[in-house]
Amino acid sequence: MASASTTDDFTVKAGLAQMLKGGVIMDVTTPAEARIAEEAGACAVMALERIPSDIRAAGGVARMSNPSMVKEIQAAVTIPVMAKARIGHVVECRILQQLGVDYIDESEVLTPADDQFHVQKDGFKVPFVCGCRNLGEALRRIKEGAAMIRTKGEAGTGDVVEAVKHIRTVNAEIAQAKAALASGGELAVAKLAREIGCDVELLKTTAELGRLPVVNFAAGGVATPADAALMMELGCDGVFVGSGIFKDAKTPEHAAQRARAIVKAVAHWNDYGELVEACIEHGEAMKGISNAGMKPEERMAGRGW
Amino acid sequence: MTVDTVTPQQITVGVLALQGGVIEHISLLQKAAVQLSSQQSTDSSSTSTPQFNFIQVRTTAQLSQCDALVIPGGESTTMAIVARRLGLLDPLREFVKQVLFVAFTRSSLSSTHLPLSVQHKPTWGTCAGLVMLASAASATKQGGQELIGGLDVKVLRNWYGTQIQSFVGDLRLPFLEEEQDKKPFRGVFIRAPVVEEIITSGSGTAENAVELGNDEIARLKERQKTEKVQVLGTYPKPQGTGEGDDIVAVRQGNVFGTSFHPELTDDVRIHVWWLKQVVEGLRSGGGGVQAQS
Repeated sequence: MASASTTDDFTVKAGLAQMLKGGVIMDVTTPAEARIAEEAGACAVMALERIPSDIRAAGGVARMSNPSMVKEIQAAVTIPVMAKARIGHVVECRILQQLGVDYIDESEVLTPADDQFHVQKDGFKVPFVCGCRNLGEALRRIKEGAAMIRTKGEAGTGDVVEAVKHIRTVNAEIAQAKAALASGGELAVAKLAREIGCDVELLKTTAELGRLPVVNFAAGGVATPADAALMMELGCDGVFVGSGIFKDAKTPEHAAQRARAIVKAVAHWNDYGELVEACIEHGEAMKGISNAGMKPEERMAGRGW
Repeated sequence: MTVDTVTPQQITVGVLALQGGVIEHISLLQKAAVQLSSQQSTDSSSTSTPQFNFIQVRTTAQLSQCDALVIPGGESTTMAIVARRLGLLDPLREFVKQVLFVAFTRSSLSSTHLPLSVQHKPTWGTCAGLVMLASAASATKQGGQELIGGLDVKVLRNWYGTQIQSFVGDLRLPFLEEEQDKKPFRGVFIRAPVVEEIITSGSGTAENAVELGNDEIARLKERQKTEKVQVLGTYPKPQGTGEGDDIVAVRQGNVFGTSFHPELTDDVRIHVWWLKQVVEGLRSGGGGVQAQS
């Protein structure tokens, strides 16, 4: 592991993510939504001003949420509260740390603040989760200090195709790293590290573990219990659900049903009796936007590097 | 060798796998089992080396295979909600012990939790698992939360604060003294709970909770004749929060709880110790005894 990961500080940061495994982290915009999420069994909530589908619709610049709204949500629930900062926006991150959020998501769903650098995360007391589309990106974020990864999907669309593509890419590259270590030892790992642009030691650790060295959730485009279970089957440790709970929900009770159904689907992702029940309980899903016709500039997952 | 070495004893230990740090416990339990078996093979007084089988528990059927159970860290609210929806809460209560306290709110005390055939099997909860095994909890979500019980203690959730106050600290754990290495145990505390009160028939929670009724007071009195809550570990209180030490490890009978996460370290000592307790409990017949409460 990288030097940062052997410290007590990193144990505690990565440890909280380990305690979230098998759970669902839900985007919420109000204390009432946060309570719906908590009652449904969410293992954490992500406090933000607008769910990604509404950010997409509204356009403009998406920024860190107002601290007053984050505070209200912290006061409403006892489960961990996460919040998003813009990529590279070190001051937003410090403000969120000051607020005492439990995790910061340095997120491509917001408008990036720096086109060169992500935040150097290992100097913070609060842990960070970051998105990735491939293994190199994941290990670059971990090298910067991220204690949790999420494979990026296309947030706010309700189309799971990008999330699937990116976890498949990560899995394939982990298999490649294992094969490199087995066949060519450290030199082959170093060569692969140069190719995918990541730290050699972290890649070696990944090859030895046969998985990412931190917890990895799916995020972006997960809209139904079946989507959530699919991401678990593909090897994710848990699921972020952004717009899928509250977008187009007819009533708060319908949102609560969706939330309960997705919690159930993640806990029992390989039990089809439970999944049938979860799908029935979930009811109508958000309408969604197919990713197939999207222009590159409309894609959030492409932000970051 | 003695006459008892006919067949190795099979012991199935489950880890409740509804949410949280499941694999971490299974991995450390497996290491502990290897160490235990190498310890016992060099110990001429031991009778036989048990064979351990570690399983993930998501269903009542899986729970019924277990001789002992670990309830891992995670989010206790999530675990309770998922367990409730699966119909697993009452089987868990039967597995551990009867429970009559429910949550801190009086409104949630309900007669539907009066059961049960008590199996009283060895159970260990870490962090959220300790919360689940407590008789009562404070700082719970609005409306309170459902618990399994088994330890007559009241826990305070998230005592140290948010994730920013999470820490690793050295613990002196006297019960580990028989393990060869006496170095302190590195306690990993993540949004950790502590035991704020040991509930006895005369303590505050019991006296104030009038809804408990005489039956519960009687149960507490009866149990505490034979099984008192033992404090097995403490940690100094955070600065400015009062005198003395926080209680971070407790045992009552064969129910064990820790505020911290041994499964997030490479230190196998507590897992070894606990497996030994499980084996001894089963040998003395205390593990699988069926009784009616």
